[in-house]
Amino acid sequence: MHNCKETREIFTELLLDGMDFRSDQAISAELSRCSECRSEFEVLSATLRLTSRLSEAAAPDENYWTGYHSKLRQSLVKAQAESSTSRAKAQRHKDELGPLFEPLRPRAGTSVFARFFKTTVPVPLPLAVAVIAAAALFLSLVIPFAIRAARVQQPNTTTVVRVPVEVPVVQEKPAEKIITRVVYRDRLVVKATTPAKDATRAESTFAKSQKSEGEAMPSSLAGFKPSDEVKLTVIKGGVPNEK
Amino acid sequence: MTERDTDAASDIDLVRRAQAEDIDAFCLLAERYARRIYLLAAHYCRNPQDAEDLSQEVWLKAYQAVQTFRFDSSFYTWLRRITINAFLNHRRSSFFRRNGQTMSVQLLQIDSEEQQVFFESSSRSQENIYNKLLFESVVNALAELTPAQRLAFLLRHYEGMTYEEIATAMNCSIGTVKKGVWRAIGKLRARLSPESDAQETLTSLASEY
Repeated sequence: MHNCKETREIFTELLLDGMDFRSDQAISAELSRCSECRSEFEVLSATLRLTSRLSEAAAPDENYWTGYHSKLRQSLVKAQAESSTSRAKAQRHKDELGPLFEPLRPRAGTSVFARFFKTTVPVPLPLAVAVIAAAALFLSLVIPFAIRAARVQQPNTTTVVRVPVEVPVVQEKPAEKIITRVVYRDRLVVKATTPAKDATRAESTFAKSQKSEGEAMPSSLAGFKPSDEVKLTVIKGGVPNEK
Repeated sequence: MTERDTDAASDIDLVRRAQAEDIDAFCLLAERYARRIYLLAAHYCRNPQDAEDLSQEVWLKAYQAVQTFRFDSSFYTWLRRITINAFLNHRRSSFFRRNGQTMSVQLLQIDSEEQQVFFESSSRSQENIYNKLLFESVVNALAELTPAQRLAFLLRHYEGMTYEEIATAMNCSIGTVKKGVWRAIGKLRARLSPESDAQETLTSLASEY
């Protein structure tokens, strides 16, 4: 099955590689099948050939290259001179400072730590005196300050501060005695005839019972002293000593 | 060593001598490959003066770095890598100070001294003028691309590098390289194909000379 897109991609890559499409039989067969791909191939082939040829034709002539190379040679000579100068400078620094760091250079058979602790570095006498004097001055200034600071911070004991605190005292009142008694009353059996008669009869019955209670105190209330608060539980229809 | 022997010396011998700070040996290497580097730079910069500056800089960098050449590839492969890096570095900087003045303009400046030097050998015949105008079209087509796309096409078409090699050298994906190359081909095809207006214009212009 011919695919124009794939065919064009393939022959473009072949052209970029500088290959002749006739050497590839598969591509030749594809191009013979499709006239559009064949014309596209011809156009593209001519375009890339022309581009290559024009690139060569656009190259400057020999006269140009003479000046080009003489300019390049001058640049190279200048770069080499600069490089030599910088190398000589680096070598001079190395010669001057190298002996100072010679003891620190790694040697075979010694560990890094051992070499570090055993290494001695020769230092010029004025420099050594200056370093020691600076260190002594530094210590003489720093140590008094450190001691003073330590003294200021020394009282580190805990101090107890007594502060009177007024605490409100709440005096609780003694709980009032609440006497609970169970009073049983006989249930009045009232036969209701009519609502009006019921109401009058109920009132008369209540008044009669009040009256009878006031006249004769039951024995169960003997010695009872009234208090400010009475909790009275009335059980209707209850029977004394009923369990 | 006679001059003939020097000419016949291999790249490896010349590189060894260059590593020993022999400027003559390095100049011989430059003479061998200067045209290829220059043409790459010319297509990339689209300006003869920029191309000269850039190619000279490439050679200078190569000379400074020749001590690092380990002979694990050909000298030109190593040099091309330096060239690509120089191109990419200049793409990021404002090196191309004459960016608006493309090579095509200079080709048509008859009184320009640079143009006379640049194309003196091919400025007399009608065929060469026609070639110059076609070259102008090529340069203009490449000018419509981004620098990365242009460089990808130059490396694929003129240098014959594979997509993988270009992607590695330019530090980008293969897809990006392919896209750049195909886009360049499309531009060139549109400008140089026989049915395009540009081709007709070029033919009519060439016939006037």
